[in-house]
Amino acid sequence: MTVTAITSPDDSRSIKRELTRSLRRRKLQAFVLVAPLLLFILFMFIYPIGGMLLRSVYSPDFARAMPATVAAIAEWPGSGTPPETVWAGVARDMLALQQRNEAGPVAAALNVEMSGARSLVLKTARNAGKLTAPYREAMVTLDPMWNDARIWQAIKRLSSPVTPRFYLAAVDMKVDEAGSIVSQPEDRQIYRSLFLRTLLISGVVTLCCLILGYPVAHLLANLPLRISNILMIFVLLPFWTSLLVRTTAWIVLLQKQGVVNSLLVWSHVLTDETRAELIFNRTGTILAMTHILLPFMILPLYSVMKTVSPVYMKAARSLGANQFVAFTKVYVPQTFAGVAAGCLLVFILAVGYYITPALVGGESGTLISNMIAYHIQKSLNWGLAAALGAILLTAILALYWTFNRLTKIDIIGLG
Amino acid sequence: MALPAYVDRWERIWHWVYLTFCALVFLFLFLLLPVLVVVPLSFNAEPYFSFTEGMLTLDPAAYSLRWYRDILQNGMADPTQLFSGWSWIGDAWANSQWIHAAKNSIVIAIGATILSTLLGTVAALGLSQSILPGRRLIMALLISPMIVPIIVTSTSLYFLFSEIGLANTYLGLIVAHAILGTPFVVITVTATLSGFDRSLIRAGQSLGASPLVVFQRVIMPLILPGILSGALFAFGTSFDEVVAVIFLADYDQRTIPRQMWSGLREQISPTILAVATILVAMSILLLTVVELLRRRSERLRGLTA
Amino acid sequence: MEQGRSIVHFVNVGKTYDGERLIVDDLSLEIARGEFLTLLGPSGSGKTTTLMMLAGFETPTRGQILLNGQEINRLAPHRRGIGMVFQNYALFPHMTVAENLAFPLNVRALGKAEVEARVIRALDLVKLGGFAARRPAQLSGGQQQRIAVARALIFEPELVLMDEPLGALDKQLREGMQYEIRELHQRLGVTIVYVTHDQAEALTMSDRIAVFDQGKIQQLASPTELYEKPRTSFVANFVGDNNLMAAEVDTLRSDHLCSVVLEGGAKVIAVATDELMPGQKVMLSVRPERLRLDPDAGAGTSSRLKGVIEEIVYLGDHMRIFVRTANQVRFLIKAANKEPHHGLTKGGMLTFGWSAQDCRALPV
Ligand SMILES: Nc1ncnc2c1ncn2[C@@H]1O[C@H](COP(=O)(O)OP(=O)(O)OP(=O)(O)O)[C@@H](O)[C@H]1O
Ligand SMILES: [Mg+2]
Repeated sequence: MTVTAITSPDDSRSIKRELTRSLRRRKLQAFVLVAPLLLFILFMFIYPIGGMLLRSVYSPDFARAMPATVAAIAEWPGSGTPPETVWAGVARDMLALQQRNEAGPVAAALNVEMSGARSLVLKTARNAGKLTAPYREAMVTLDPMWNDARIWQAIKRLSSPVTPRFYLAAVDMKVDEAGSIVSQPEDRQIYRSLFLRTLLISGVVTLCCLILGYPVAHLLANLPLRISNILMIFVLLPFWTSLLVRTTAWIVLLQKQGVVNSLLVWSHVLTDETRAELIFNRTGTILAMTHILLPFMILPLYSVMKTVSPVYMKAARSLGANQFVAFTKVYVPQTFAGVAAGCLLVFILAVGYYITPALVGGESGTLISNMIAYHIQKSLNWGLAAALGAILLTAILALYWTFNRLTKIDIIGLG
Repeated sequence: MALPAYVDRWERIWHWVYLTFCALVFLFLFLLLPVLVVVPLSFNAEPYFSFTEGMLTLDPAAYSLRWYRDILQNGMADPTQLFSGWSWIGDAWANSQWIHAAKNSIVIAIGATILSTLLGTVAALGLSQSILPGRRLIMALLISPMIVPIIVTSTSLYFLFSEIGLANTYLGLIVAHAILGTPFVVITVTATLSGFDRSLIRAGQSLGASPLVVFQRVIMPLILPGILSGALFAFGTSFDEVVAVIFLADYDQRTIPRQMWSGLREQISPTILAVATILVAMSILLLTVVELLRRRSERLRGLTA
Repeated sequence: MEQGRSIVHFVNVGKTYDGERLIVDDLSLEIARGEFLTLLGPSGSGKTTTLMMLAGFETPTRGQILLNGQEINRLAPHRRGIGMVFQNYALFPHMTVAENLAFPLNVRALGKAEVEARVIRALDLVKLGGFAARRPAQLSGGQQQRIAVARALIFEPELVLMDEPLGALDKQLREGMQYEIRELHQRLGVTIVYVTHDQAEALTMSDRIAVFDQGKIQQLASPTELYEKPRTSFVANFVGDNNLMAAEVDTLRSDHLCSVVLEGGAKVIAVATDELMPGQKVMLSVRPERLRLDPDAGAGTSSRLKGVIEEIVYLGDHMRIFVRTANQVRFLIKAANKEPHHGLTKGGMLTFGWSAQDCRALPV
């Protein structure tokens, strides 16, 4: 065999160039294959999420609806009531809004900042045609509330399109009349306790799944393959059964006229009048979510347990450990990766859960997702919904990222 | 698992506690709930959600198919005509709410499955090449729809679709469900490809086959089970999805889960149980298919005899 | 062997997994205190099963196992106090080396200071002093092996079982470790039951070897006896190289010798091993190094054969010569490289012979 040596520097350079070129071609080929899906995900998924996140800090709607006011109020330093130009701007904008029949959103936005502002705005808009200069007197005559400095400060806050107020609201804080950031009064605090409740319920669900799932996964991993394959189908069956079907099953079981209550009445544990509240509360949410998320715990546990050789248990016993010590000191630590993966998966899914809490959660069992939906669909406070969503998303991504750092396992490989 | 002869009493008791516990979890959580409760109650003759005396004593009169009939009748122009003559078929096809929902579910799920399978498979072919720059990042991006809470995804799409006119359209829903389904396709196909012996490609080429022929005759048959199970996952995801539908569809695009959702929120009638029973039967069928595919793929790869 | 000296006693032990096939068949075996006993046999012959029954991971289907005179059939493994080295070491991957070593001491609730002292001593014993804080995955195969041995010895069991402990090591490491295990055995005086299917390993390490085949002990003897005086053709063939010839007993002689007829009709004198009967089919066995190339030179050659040289393999210190006789029996001859063997060429004829004392007639 002969080997042609690369002699001249020219040769070596051209060979290197060849190499880079072919490498680049192969990279490009691989990238072209990935590109369609990547673009699809970027434009249809990442971009809209970015857009939504933007809504949590950027809200130009008010400024767009009230251009004259916004232009005028920029001059006003913010103490007392503003000069006549601002009043005139408000009157002009109100008239325009009334003509386009668009006073509603402005009234709603201002009402969030200061209660009672809704009726003030709607009333002023209705009467905007009758207002004449000097606008200050005219408007105060129409409604003395215009004389309140706080309403003007609220208008000034809203007129800036970039705002921290949604995030502040999402953690039960606000900018007070003096312009400093304070907590909402106790009776108006909702979100902090909602976040806490979401974390708490998710934690309980995760724990329940672990307690139920660990022995089952252990059994599956140690049974002969023929039997465990059949049992595995039972684990996967709910996985493949519609979420709504499973939630329905829980409603059927647990509601006041449901199977469990009827059984208890029939066996004289309860009477017809004292049927227990088993669902449409926190208990219902926890029960149903545990059931629904259990497969997500069992599958990673199972796949890790499968790799733990039974010889370690034997070794532990030959070294003098009894069954219990061998299990806790030798077996369980080797399944920690699976425990971590399962818990993370269940927790992440639980934190973002919507359907089940909405159907069986009642008052006390709703989670943060349900509140986001409420603000999107009912209260139309999209900025706040976006802020809540951003916090939820950040929390989940942070959790996922730490997990990936800490362990090297792929929770996605569910198979 | 037989117990060795030497175990002492506590270990024996503990072992039985453990087995009983597992048996209970299986019975109650995996079997009893979906099947043993929903299925028989769907044949209830009464509009109740609990077992009547008659059902418990197996009185045939306590069972009926009325809720299955109701699936067809609900929304029909003339429900009394069901099963008499032929004209009711057209009526049900056009007006029955559940049939309307079923048609939507199938159209949307098939559309989403095709879209996500195509995009996902092609992407997986690229992703499986270690030379791809930024592979981990790209993979993380493509998988992210699984991790982002569905409420965030749905609301984001709601805003985007309202702007670009995809809200309340079939295409919008297909796109949304395809986004949710692609991670499954990407994962299953990359998993199949990672177990794929690359030297088979070289072998094929050395035997004189062109790259296209190698793809058709060597790669495709081996990764097909992976693609199919990814596609099934995508189909299942779309068929079961309700949050995106709530935000992105109005009545015209209502799917079965969406219809069940309103049923559960408004007035619960046992019709939902009848629908649920049909869905359980379908999911058993789907699961069997997936299991058979999995076995076939393992056999092809020589993992089992 | 008198009663007091034996530590383990298998009494007619039988084991079946499926109720049909006996994996261990009527095994009776006494193991002396302090001895190094090796179970040697081909794959699937029941060695591991025997060891597992002794360790307590399998229960005998019938018969008894006595440890220090007590029946232990129903004693849990962790109460037996038997150390064990597993084939792939079974070092707990989530514990450091020191934690692995401390494990058997901690489950015995020894004091902290005592545990630390013993761990240090054990590490020194296997010459891995600086490795206490490492994880098993950070050790080489040979190092893991030593830790596994140290872990099995650290709680000072009287009896240590080793199931092919060197199976995963390369040849050179194996030989080093064989020596070290042997030395530990002599130093500590523990009883070791060792499983291997490598006959060279068994010969170099053991006090006694039990040759297993199909669940039965074929022969239990010291390495020398096993090599020099195999009792069955299986043993003769499994331990060391051998030349086997089918034959039939012709007449028995008084001096433990007999005359047999080879298949070709030639008559040969051989050592009669068991009580043989005239007319019985036997296998004649001659070790290749006992075959002489120059049968006429020395005295004592009692039989000779002629054949065609098929192959000559030169191995430095000796040569292996393959010869095929007229009735198609293939012989292997090992000739020491002492003097030049001229005239040996492939295809040439060769006459060779052996002394009657080196040829054993084994029952088939
Ligand atoms: N748990 C079991 N269930 C059923 N059969 C078994 C089991 N363990 C071993 N066997 C069978 O028992 C026979 C003897 O096995 P054993 O492990 O004792 O052999 P061995 O002599 O150790 O072989 P090797 O040298 O290959 O380790 C084999 O045929 C094996 O298939
Ligand atoms: Mg073995």
